[in-house]
Amino acid sequence: MSETRPVRIAVDIGGTFTDLQILDARQGQVVAWKTPTTPADPSEGLFRGVQDAAARFGFALADVGLLLHGTTIATNAVLERKLARGVLLTTAGFEDVLEITRHVRRDIYGLAPDPFPCLIERDLRIGVPERIRADGSVEIPLGDLAPVIARLKAAAPEAVAIGLLHAYANPAHERALRDAVAAALPGVPVSLSSEVSPEIREYERLSTTVLNALLMPVVQRYLQRLEARLGEGGFHPRIFLVQSNGGMCSLRRAAEQPARLLLSGPSGGALAAERLSRRLERPNLVAVDMGGTSFDVSVVQDHRIGLVTQGEVDRLPVRLPMVEMRTIGAGGGSIASVDASGRLTAGPRSAGARPGPVCYGRGGEEPTVTDAHAVLGRFDPDFFLGGAMRLDMDAARAAVRARIGDRLGLSVEQAAEGILRVTNAQLAAAVRLSLFEKGLDPRDFALLSFGGAGGLHATDVADELGIAEVVFPREPGTLSAYGILFSDLVQDLARSRLFPADPAHAEEIAASLAALKAEALERLAEDGVPESRRAVELAADLRYRGQAFELLVPWPEAPDLPALLARFHAAHRARFSYAAEGEPVEIVTLRASAIGRFDKPDETPPAPPEAPPAPAPRRVWDGTAEAEWPVWRRETLRAADRVAGPAIIEEAFATHVIGRGWTAALHPDGAIIARRTA
Amino acid sequence: MTAASLGPIEIEVIRNGLTAAAAEMDVTVWRTSRSTIVRELLDYSTAVFDAEGRNLAQSARIPSHLNSMTHALRTLLAEYVPPEAWNEGDVVIFNDPYCGGQHLPDILAFRAVFHEGRRIAFVGTLCHHIDVGGLAAGSYAAKATEIFQEGLRIPPVKLIEAGKRNDAVWAMIRQNIRKPDLLLGDLNSQLASLEVGLAAVLRLARRFGAAAMIEAGERILAMSEAGMRAAIAAMPDGIYEFQDFLDDDGIALGQPIRLHVRLTIAGDEAVVDLSGCSPQAAGPVNATLASSSAAVMFALMCCAEPGLHMSAGCYRPIRVIAPEGLVVNARHPAPVAHRIAVGHRLLNAMMGALHQVVPQKVPAAYYGNSYVTTFQTVAENGAREVLVEIEIGGSGAHPSKDGVNAYASGMHNNSNIPVEMIEAQLPLTVTRYALRDGSGGAGQFRGGLGLVREWRVDSPRCFFTANMDRFDRAPYGLAGGGEAARGALVLRRDGVETPVPPKTDNLPLVKGDVVRLETSGGGGFGPAAQRAPEAAARDRRLGYV
Repeated sequence: MSETRPVRIAVDIGGTFTDLQILDARQGQVVAWKTPTTPADPSEGLFRGVQDAAARFGFALADVGLLLHGTTIATNAVLERKLARGVLLTTAGFEDVLEITRHVRRDIYGLAPDPFPCLIERDLRIGVPERIRADGSVEIPLGDLAPVIARLKAAAPEAVAIGLLHAYANPAHERALRDAVAAALPGVPVSLSSEVSPEIREYERLSTTVLNALLMPVVQRYLQRLEARLGEGGFHPRIFLVQSNGGMCSLRRAAEQPARLLLSGPSGGALAAERLSRRLERPNLVAVDMGGTSFDVSVVQDHRIGLVTQGEVDRLPVRLPMVEMRTIGAGGGSIASVDASGRLTAGPRSAGARPGPVCYGRGGEEPTVTDAHAVLGRFDPDFFLGGAMRLDMDAARAAVRARIGDRLGLSVEQAAEGILRVTNAQLAAAVRLSLFEKGLDPRDFALLSFGGAGGLHATDVADELGIAEVVFPREPGTLSAYGILFSDLVQDLARSRLFPADPAHAEEIAASLAALKAEALERLAEDGVPESRRAVELAADLRYRGQAFELLVPWPEAPDLPALLARFHAAHRARFSYAAEGEPVEIVTLRASAIGRFDKPDETPPAPPEAPPAPAPRRVWDGTAEAEWPVWRRETLRAADRVAGPAIIEEAFATHVIGRGWTAALHPDGAIIARRTA
Repeated sequence: MTAASLGPIEIEVIRNGLTAAAAEMDVTVWRTSRSTIVRELLDYSTAVFDAEGRNLAQSARIPSHLNSMTHALRTLLAEYVPPEAWNEGDVVIFNDPYCGGQHLPDILAFRAVFHEGRRIAFVGTLCHHIDVGGLAAGSYAAKATEIFQEGLRIPPVKLIEAGKRNDAVWAMIRQNIRKPDLLLGDLNSQLASLEVGLAAVLRLARRFGAAAMIEAGERILAMSEAGMRAAIAAMPDGIYEFQDFLDDDGIALGQPIRLHVRLTIAGDEAVVDLSGCSPQAAGPVNATLASSSAAVMFALMCCAEPGLHMSAGCYRPIRVIAPEGLVVNARHPAPVAHRIAVGHRLLNAMMGALHQVVPQKVPAAYYGNSYVTTFQTVAENGAREVLVEIEIGGSGAHPSKDGVNAYASGMHNNSNIPVEMIEAQLPLTVTRYALRDGSGGAGQFRGGLGLVREWRVDSPRCFFTANMDRFDRAPYGLAGGGEAARGALVLRRDGVETPVPPKTDNLPLVKGDVVRLETSGGGGFGPAAQRAPEAAARDRRLGYV
């Protein structure tokens, strides 16, 4: 949307740091800033970061027109169970669906399983006499609510979730219940499954609705604190929050539907990958974000990031659109160990931020992937995190020697190399599987490496995959914030109803679609999006009759049914290697994304320096012997410079290894691009 | 790289690579298969084997499949297609339980991997196919009395010979089954999966060389063996016996079938003698050695330390004695379609014996059942729709905690079908889906609760088929814990309830009839008197008891 004030800020609040990226339209430059996160009230660190950045980069708080905010507050509230105490009202006879779950186990050899989490216990799940059928007709009208309301009042909940069978097809009973609850418990937040996730499959819809209800008080409290900081020093931007689908939403929408924030953490990185894919003219990118504890893989194909219709947090399904992501527990903090059978493993156990790797000197005793890099001389102990932390190299060596090398009969360097090789094999396997399950070939992709630890592994992982190009973007440590900076307002709407996708139902489908589209436009108007910036993208979930899962298919030609079917068959063939064009197809869910486009001011890459860089030699361990590798400072690189591997490129919050056989150069956009040359 | 220069790092990289190969094969089956049973119930498994047919790496799928595939491939190599008869580009398939398989719907497919002119590995897939002919749709007839009634038997044959399709075999299969497009589609996905596994193994082989791959396989097996031996060595020596029962075979009603285990722990080895099991049954509740061994191995592998690499090396310190002609090693031509029932109960018996060995690890009995129900609805115009459901029950209480309510346990691992999906597609209404109060065994730690599920028929007519157990013999408790509730299957018609036999073929139902299934929970652990007062109070508050 248009905004006359020149400064736009994207904030991504992580566990340790709050990352900012700032675009000042007057210069067109994007700058980055980092400040420690304040877990007790994250808005405090956010505001401090903005103030510091204003002072550092010379803008006034009153110049800030937009604040785009990524937050893990909802996710953390679930993981730490700091949730409201809630009651679930559901169809009588089905009160246990929330506890029964879908019950497939993941650890097939485990003898002492933990139950799937269930956020509302049985005595707070209240059955309501009523029944709606799959076609939306009423089989049993809503019965006497007096006993239900009496139990509800006795429970004195902080939030109420309402989820009835087939409410996606007919929300009348849920709405009537909401009115009854509002009358009995004024001011208590209520979530309706027909509004939060109006999709078929009762357990997934209930799980999402319950999460939403229990998060409402938590997120509303945070948003109030955030708003309370507005006005200070003329700071009065319009604020939007990042959702799991990679789009922004207004504060009001976030307060009503906090479940949409639940898996927003990785979406900034994916958005950045999508934007970089266009700026660097690389339509196919596989983006890998490696931080302290995890390795996230997302795929950009033909300049578009993939979305899925469901994700999960702590084994709880969240049935809402989100960025497609594969995560494995491998990061700089992953702990290496040797088990009883003499096997060397790395991860998924992590030393986390505390105590962290041994070389951080914060009490960590078990060697980590970061310690392995330290042993091999990949870091300058005096310039880690831009000099913010001194590394204890001796402690790292001692830990790798004692816990890995001695137990396997290897030298400390061999042991460290081993930790990295085992880790790289895992990373490559995760990337291969992410591409593979879509029927894609790694050789058609460039690897986009970011996150604090990504650059140390990128060319090695690319080698394992047969990928010939690696992109190291600018500011790899705050790339998520960069992605957020260029995002749009997006609201996803869905309507589940099983339709045969045939001409006999075309009219019914078109009517449903028109209603959905009208609702989408209405939402955009509510959010104050000017008409010229509104867009609605339509899609449908389809399957062959008899299948139990669906494929999400974009439908730009809506309501042209043959066009949709052609897209479905093509998508099915691409992903599953066959299409059954003669078989009946069903539409399970119709979808609309209401998009309010923000301005996309062009960014000006920073001017490269004039003086030639002066790479300094560093003693490192190179496979079998000590060697000297040149170490380049990223900010000194110029367009004409060529960094031939093996070499190291350092910057404040990241270290990149350019492997043997690779040559890296600066792209005009500011990214470093390494190519396999030998 | 030579075999001699393989260090622990290379071994781990190769092990990772083989596990990733099994995972890529798994994704390929999922991506390319056609039928619901493979794609949605995920009833398939993939694995990588060494050049002698020993499992090196597995996908995370079905316990009853995974630990049967080594037996199948080794039998194949020893008796049917000797190692020297495999050429590059050959794919051998079979489903015959009497050639090392489990039951006819499971088709196994194997392909050898060659590098530097020598055989370095096999890759294999096992898929449960939707129908292979025989008496009943789905090839699951409850009343079969010989295997000839159960469907098409495929002996080991080369489906692909040196890269060329053997058209006669394809034609022979097509002619004998109910859903040829689905089965052949799924078979093609098995072939695609083998192709992917082959490429993944060759990627490793090109990097490390043939000799190193073979050496790495030996070392991986040795590593698993060492882990398994360590687990057994930590168990006190002795002879431990336990028995549990299946209600009956559906033919000789009320005649229980004994699953008896005599487990000998001596040093770092275990001998499991199944000689005390009942003779093979007349009905299809029989298992071949591939199925029975899988249950025995799975039980012992569960008792090892977490992190153990699951491979055929784990089987080495374990010997299974199972004379032919018993329910655990049925002799041709006994019917075997419901071999999973034997697998469940044998696992229950193994765990009962292992409780005496490692009492701190082993939970009380889980429900021990695949509650299979089939509704074939018939509309006014004769149109038929079929719903196949597999329900579960509760897991057994563990020595340190309660069992889990409604938890897919033991030999199978399946999901449920959403009520809303059923009602959107079929003339059936689910009128209740709930935890079954009081179905978990009492104890210091309570068994997990089973389920109640009720279906109402909305079509003019419907045929109902069921196959389940634990209606007579309840899941046991341990260390003084109580047994779980028995199952129940009830028909409600015009307000009158009548029991339905748990092994029923094609019971006619009419509109308005309601069928109610109540599944077993898990057994309890420890005396109920020792249950913590707050835990007992919570049970009462939540209505679990």
